Amino acid sequence: MEPSSQPQPAIGVVAGGSQVYPAYRPAATVPTAPAVIPAGSQPAPSFPANPDQLSAQHQLVYQQAQQFHQQLQQQQQRQLQQFWAERLVDIEQTTDFKNHSLPLARIKKIMKADEDVRMISAEAPVIFAKACEIFILELTLRSWMHTEENKRRTLQKNDIAAAITRTDMYDFLVDIVPRDDLKEEGVGLPRAGLPPLGVPADSYPYGYYVPQQQVPGAGIAYGGQQGHPGYLWQDPQEQQEEPPAEQQSD
Amino acid sequence: MPDSDNESGGPSNAGEYASAREQDRFLPIANVSRIMKRALPANAKISKDAKETVQECVSEFISFITGEASDKCQREKRKTINGDDLLWAMTTLGFEDYIDPLKLYLHKFRELEGEKAIGAAGSGGGGAASSGGSGSGSGSHHHQDASRNNGGYGMYGGGGGMIMMMGQPMYGSPPASSAGYAQPPPPHHHHHQMVMGGKGAYGHGGGGGGGPSPSSGYGRQDRL
Repeated sequence: MEPSSQPQPAIGVVAGGSQVYPAYRPAATVPTAPAVIPAGSQPAPSFPANPDQLSAQHQLVYQQAQQFHQQLQQQQQRQLQQFWAERLVDIEQTTDFKNHSLPLARIKKIMKADEDVRMISAEAPVIFAKACEIFILELTLRSWMHTEENKRRTLQKNDIAAAITRTDMYDFLVDIVPRDDLKEEGVGLPRAGLPPLGVPADSYPYGYYVPQQQVPGAGIAYGGQQGHPGYLWQDPQEQQEEPPAEQQSD
Repeated sequence: MPDSDNESGGPSNAGEYASAREQDRFLPIANVSRIMKRALPANAKISKDAKETVQECVSEFISFITGEASDKCQREKRKTINGDDLLWAMTTLGFEDYIDPLKLYLHKFRELEGEKAIGAAGSGGGGAASSGGSGSGSGSHHHQDASRNNGGYGMYGGGGGMIMMMGQPMYGSPPASSAGYAQPPPPHHHHHQMVMGGKGAYGHGGGGGGGPSPSSGYGRQDRL
């Protein structure tokens, strides 16, 4: 039972998710209803609590937030699946290998910046031109997900930082974004939580976690373990940035 | 080896020497920006620092993959990094999803280069080096020095590709284990993974093999 008359802030959060944004240019057929979490009003208290000790009301809010996050993740997963399907179609339709979206000479120069690299076959920069194009597209798409969650229309550096922290594949990029950007607008961290509610904090910093396609089991584990965040992992970097009053533990 | 090319520099760039010039360390911001816009809605905007950050990320990506591929070549006492080395490195470093599209791309590229090599055409191979000339959608072909030079070793590249395809199967002797992260990434950040991937690192074989098992809600339904 979900009494709709209850004045719950989480309900407002869920309602915000019903906003519809214009469809992506390359994916006009994708239904875009991105979930929106107002910046500064995320229901994430800084203290952990045992789910069993929550009151019925708090459990209700917790369950609603869980459903909200699951829907968000499922939607983003669909966007990524669409993304990869489009990549294959793009390449199937490629007939011109003379004009690349990225200059081969520059790619080669970047490759040769490594002193250990001696000789490069002619096809290597060609492959990198396509690989970098895919890399830019995917990183931008994942960053834009964060932009939309914050109700903005301008993709900013902290959106890229958010995508990097959320995606294991991008671990090698953590040194590129300053630590300050990782703390903006609740990137992986609770912001302006609801102090009276005892929702476990360690389930919210990872509310933005997008399960990696290479570990499908992780998504299942997360989705099927409501209230039991034992399968979530903590990034030591994020751990350092936790509120000093509390120590996160799984 | 006919597929090797140790030259450096782009003919149309002002500084032909591989130097520490700031601009040379990144891909042109105009190209990067154009690609970014393709991933976004029409009314989206991109801040300048976001574009610059992606520029840095792409260079880091190239160095990351190249370093891994170079290490593999050294272990195998080979001097030339080829396309398959790059694909192997991407698989090892967690970019499995890239392999299917790139294998398709490489296959088509080799087909085209093979045909041109037979025809002895001089304008095949790589594109123009300048950012202006690398705009997509342009159907006209340019016969500048850059095109001729690229055409020259494009032909060689095609030959090398054919040799590789005949000589050894793709990933004939993969040293990596079945886990996707058998080798940790470079030491600037150690990797975190809560569940090891259930599929092998080479599950993306173009010819078939074991595909990833579907999972509820997160299956790879995008595979054609």
